[in-house]
Amino acid sequence: MLLGVSACAHNPDGTPQHPALAGPEANDPLEGMNRGIFWFNDQVDQAVLRPVAQAYRWAIPAALRDAVSNVLNNVRSPLTLANNILQGDWDGAGVTVERFVINSTVGIGGLVDVAAANGIPYHYESLSQTFAVWGIDEGPYLVLPFLGASSVRDAVGFGLEAWGDPVTRVSSNTDNDWANYTRVGLTVLDARSTYFEALDDLRKNSVDYYAAMRAAYRQQRDGYVLNGKADPRQYPSIPDYSQNPDP
Amino acid sequence: MTNMLTRRTLLLGTATMGLALSLGLPFATPAQAAADAGAAVKFVQGLGDKAIGVLSKPGASKAEIQSTFNQLLQQNFDLQTIGRFVLGRYWNVANDAQRQEYMKLFQTMIVSVYSERFSQYAGETFKVGAAQPDGEKDAIVNSQVVRSNGPAVNVDWRLRSKDGSFRIIDVVVENVSMSLTQRSEFASVIESHGGDFNALLEALRDRIQKANAGVAQ
Repeated sequence: MLLGVSACAHNPDGTPQHPALAGPEANDPLEGMNRGIFWFNDQVDQAVLRPVAQAYRWAIPAALRDAVSNVLNNVRSPLTLANNILQGDWDGAGVTVERFVINSTVGIGGLVDVAAANGIPYHYESLSQTFAVWGIDEGPYLVLPFLGASSVRDAVGFGLEAWGDPVTRVSSNTDNDWANYTRVGLTVLDARSTYFEALDDLRKNSVDYYAAMRAAYRQQRDGYVLNGKADPRQYPSIPDYSQNPDP
Repeated sequence: MTNMLTRRTLLLGTATMGLALSLGLPFATPAQAAADAGAAVKFVQGLGDKAIGVLSKPGASKAEIQSTFNQLLQQNFDLQTIGRFVLGRYWNVANDAQRQEYMKLFQTMIVSVYSERFSQYAGETFKVGAAQPDGEKDAIVNSQVVRSNGPAVNVDWRLRSKDGSFRIIDVVVENVSMSLTQRSEFASVIESHGGDFNALLEALRDRIQKANAGVAQ
C-alpha cells in the first residue's frame, strides 16, 4: 500500500496530537505524468470551465450565486457531520448540527446562511481530512483528469466520499439521480466561479503554474486539516535576512 | 477560539510577569521584547487604509496606483528577507552576480504581482481581526476581505518587529503562503532545468516583461 499509517499519539481527549500534514518537499514522484494531465486539465478549463464560470457570473446576480453556495454547503451537512464524528471532533459535530437546523429552517432550506451571519461560520470537512487527522500520510501528489490537484490519500477519500455521501445514497436509492447530477454540476460551477480571480491570478503571475498550483493545493488542504486560520504550526519559520548586507 | 487566545495571552502575560519579578526587572522590559499585538493590528490597519485610499481615489491612473504600491511595499515589506527565503537553498548555488540580479528581478516582480493582487480588492471591505504573537519578534495578524462577489477571503499577515515598527515577511491568503508557493515554483524552475540558476533569472525576466507589456498570459 502507498498509504502509510504513521504512529499516532493521542491527547487525553482522544484527538491525535499530530495530524499528517504535507512536508516541505513536494512529494511528487509522478511529476511527468502529473504535468501531462495538468496540461490537459488546463486546456479543458480554459476552453470550457472558465468561459462557463464567466457566463455564470455575468448572468446570475451575486446574491443568487451565494444562495447556490449556501444550499450546496447545507446539503453537505450529513457528510460533514460524519467526518466530525470520525475525527472525534464533538464541538465541530455540534456546530454542524446547529448550522443545519438553523439554515434549513430560518434559512429557508439552506438558501440563506443565517448561522454564519450569527457567528457560526461554515467549516469544510472531507474524508481526506479525516484520514489526515488519523495520521495517514498524503502519499504522492496526483493530478486527476478533470478533477485536478489531489494525492493518493485525498483521491481515495474523494472516491469513497462521492460514493458514500448520505445525500447521494438517498438520491440514488429513490431514483432521484437527477438530483445528484444537478448537485455535481452546480458544485463544479460554484467552485470554479469562487476561485475565478484566484486562478486567473495564479495562472498569470506564476513562473511555474504547475508548481504553484501544487504548493497552493497542499497548503490549503493542511489549512482545512487544522480547521483554522493563522496557526503558527502551519507556517514555515522565516529566518531574518534583513541584516545581511546586499550581495 | 477567541476565548482560547485570550486565555493563552493571559497565561503568557502572567508567565512574563513572574519572570520579570524573579529577575527583578522592571515590567516594561519583557513586554517590549515580545511583538506588541495591538501595535501589529494597528500597523496592518494603517497599511490597508493607505492601499484602499489610493485604490478608491477617483481618477487614479494605473501608473499612479503602481507607484504608490511600490512605495508601500518598499517601506513596509522586508523584501530582502522575503527574496532570500523564497530562493531557499538555491541562494548558495548562485554566484554574487546572479544573487544581485535575482534580488533586483524578484523585487520588481513581487511589486507588480502584489500590487495587482491587492488592486483586485478595490472597493471591498478590509476588516482587521486579532493578532497573535509568533515567537519572540513575530506576530500574525488576521484580516478578512469581505467581497461583494463571492465569499470573504481570509488574509493573514506575518509581521516582524524591526526598529520600533514592523515589516511584513509573508502574506497568507486562505492558508496559502505567498512565499512558500513562490519558493516551490522557483525550485521547480531551477530543478527542471538541471539545476541551472540562470533559468530562474530568465523566467523572472520573461514574467516581468509580460507584465509590462500587459499581456494576459
